[in-house]
Amino acid sequence: MDAAVQRRVIVGGVDYPDLCDHSAGVLVCERLMTRDLGPRVLVEDLSFNPVAVAQRLQDEPAWARIIFVSAIARGLNPPGSITAYRWDGVLPDPEEVHRAVCDAVTGIIHLDNTLIVARQFQALPDLVCVVEIEPLEHEFGHDLSPAVAAALEPACRCVTRLAQDETYAARLPLSPLGGLAAMSFT
Amino acid sequence: MCFKNLPVEFDASGRAFLREGIADPYATTTGPANVPKQLSHEQITDLLRRNGHIKSVDFDPVTRVAGALAFHTVTDLKARKVVEARSVATLFRGYEVIMVGRDPRDAIFITSRACGVCGGVHSACSAMATEMAIGAEPPPLGVLIRNIALALEFLYDHPLHLHLLAGPDYSAMIVAQTNPGLLDLAKRTDASHGDVHGYKTMFDLMEDLNPLSGRLYLEALHMTRVAREAYVLICGKYPHPQTMVPGGMSSTITLTVMNEMLLRLNQFFDYGKKIACIWDDITEFFYDANPEYKKVGARRANMIDTGIFDIPGVYDAKYVNAGTWGDARWYTPGAVVDGELVTTDLHVINMGLEEFVEHSYYEEWTGEGQKTRYESDPTGRPLSPHHPWNKVTKPRPQGQNWKEKYTWDTAPRWDRQAMEAGCYARLWNTAAARKLPDNPFIESTGHSLKVRVPAGKLPEMELEWHIPKVWNAFERNRARAHCVASTAMIAFNNWLAAMERVKIGDLRTSTKFEIPRKGEQLGVGFWGAGRGYLTHHLSLDRGAVSNYQIITPSTWNASPTDRWGQPGPYEEAVLNTPLLEETDDPKGFKGIDILRAIRSFDPCMPCTTHIQCGDEMITREVNTCACGADA
Repeated sequence: MDAAVQRRVIVGGVDYPDLCDHSAGVLVCERLMTRDLGPRVLVEDLSFNPVAVAQRLQDEPAWARIIFVSAIARGLNPPGSITAYRWDGVLPDPEEVHRAVCDAVTGIIHLDNTLIVARQFQALPDLVCVVEIEPLEHEFGHDLSPAVAAALEPACRCVTRLAQDETYAARLPLSPLGGLAAMSFT
Repeated sequence: MCFKNLPVEFDASGRAFLREGIADPYATTTGPANVPKQLSHEQITDLLRRNGHIKSVDFDPVTRVAGALAFHTVTDLKARKVVEARSVATLFRGYEVIMVGRDPRDAIFITSRACGVCGGVHSACSAMATEMAIGAEPPPLGVLIRNIALALEFLYDHPLHLHLLAGPDYSAMIVAQTNPGLLDLAKRTDASHGDVHGYKTMFDLMEDLNPLSGRLYLEALHMTRVAREAYVLICGKYPHPQTMVPGGMSSTITLTVMNEMLLRLNQFFDYGKKIACIWDDITEFFYDANPEYKKVGARRANMIDTGIFDIPGVYDAKYVNAGTWGDARWYTPGAVVDGELVTTDLHVINMGLEEFVEHSYYEEWTGEGQKTRYESDPTGRPLSPHHPWNKVTKPRPQGQNWKEKYTWDTAPRWDRQAMEAGCYARLWNTAAARKLPDNPFIESTGHSLKVRVPAGKLPEMELEWHIPKVWNAFERNRARAHCVASTAMIAFNNWLAAMERVKIGDLRTSTKFEIPRKGEQLGVGFWGAGRGYLTHHLSLDRGAVSNYQIITPSTWNASPTDRWGQPGPYEEAVLNTPLLEETDDPKGFKGIDILRAIRSFDPCMPCTTHIQCGDEMITREVNTCACGADA
């Protein structure tokens, strides 16, 4: 690649819309889309079929890093908790990967599936950051629980720093799928 | 006379009426004649008690299908057969509940969420039900663009099923585990159509069906992208389009859009040739290896389809003319009973339709004290109290019991027969009926469908799909593969017709309409999904939906045993399936033949609305499928 060409950073929200707290990752991205994060940072809603996400990422194969942000119930931290980690990129066994692909093409949207499928098809850069928000309410609608509502701005700050500061991003703890070794941001 | 079980007759002018002298014409006390039956619960219990080699084998969930399907079998591993089969839809869909009281235009967007693969067909079907109810006839380009959009959705769907969901069952990786002897034979067997698909031996071909690494698997993923890209040019996004409206589509059509679409559509010409030849070779290889494979997934050739892809100027969105515009469709509607096409008339198809809930988690809505809302359709043809226009959805969650209720699916029946739906039903009806519009690419012979596919990298080819002599899992997959080429050529025919509209500057794609605020109106969308038959029946009352009923292909195929003991299509197919897997160890039993039988239907269990039943109340907690897709 021409040294003069600066590789871009992509921030992607991965959630279902309109599911209260469970849409918090996409809400973070919606806020960031209205802000100037610099010419090298692209913010997109990647809440669609993970195979299509992989194909979209392959359109521009030299991403400097990717930052996924998602509301995902791990049950490890209280609602509204923000955790961040570098994904170690280790895939589960092939049967599980194939299951993820089948789920993807039949319409299932889930952060872990997106990570698995995108990695399987070599669509991810080496540095993959994940920011997760622990949700509480799982209802149809737009209302957020107080804890998750309060987490949106800190999550925006976390994602912004990861997008703009490569050194900071590279220092996140390395974690397998599920974020067991994630760092608490709040 | 097409009805053998319902007491419907026709006079000399073809007018349908109920046979006279029958007190209760739609009584359910007498079941259909000459249909297969499940063993009774008592018989199964006795078999299990007396035979150690007869065991329950459950598949929960059935993997590599869309949505939530479980399957219960009782299997005789000594006789290598299945003695009981029960299909279980494990999630409640609930659109029928959600839609009541809403503006019908909402249905286009809400019911789309019934599927994360083929939301567009629900949008289109819903728009058509509404346009029939309110009288909004689409302009020519609106009809043509709608046809192209949904053809593209099928071109996404068919490769996905064939090489991602069903295909692995025939891959070297799986066959090595279940039938290693077959793999040895594959290494010694030349593939018949190597000149088209490029594989010298069947082993080479089966290796490329391997999940994740096989070239056919990866190519199918790529082709889904090609179809999706073409689709979003006119639908805005996939899988839930934003441009379906009653009376056409709201897409803006330009020469650029048309060219961009063609650029992608014509990639399916060569792919259509290749995929048809691949599945011809797979089918013949298994038949030659062991003729018993003809029994895997076998059942009566009972099929139903509403036809799809309308002709501008013939389609007028009026129920009274449905027989005419239905017959004119590119894929002909029809009901096939025991291999014979008994009708192509959409009115007759609609008239024979009933839904039963004997083994489903719903309450009955007919019976003493219940009034049948519509005793006839808008043309005076008789309707059953169990017809969707008369149905009331009354969910009743409860414990699972094979003798009583065990699934969220209902049991739709046509003339009280268990019918199956699939894109293959389209091929069958169209091949048999010989009603195709004049065109340069597709020909119906009465016993086959010939498709002339233009040259790409491969030379021009004529593919021919023959109505099969046996009906089984392999023939379902083979027919689905042939649907790629026929659907691509229908799309191309429509593209050419659309270009004629563009050339003369007629770019209207929709008709202005208003939702009537007075009175009652009925509508039905007769359309199709990639997986076959699709109807949305609705009634409007003073501008709001008063009833909404969806029957999908998997409603038919995954249906439970009915009140007369007649199994649903998955169940019947599995009951007829010999267990050819090479294993004597019950612990190593994978049930590959059962799974091939089930997956050949391309199951798609609507994967959306969940329920909470703490107070036995349905709540609207909606988990959508790919609803946020902006691709």
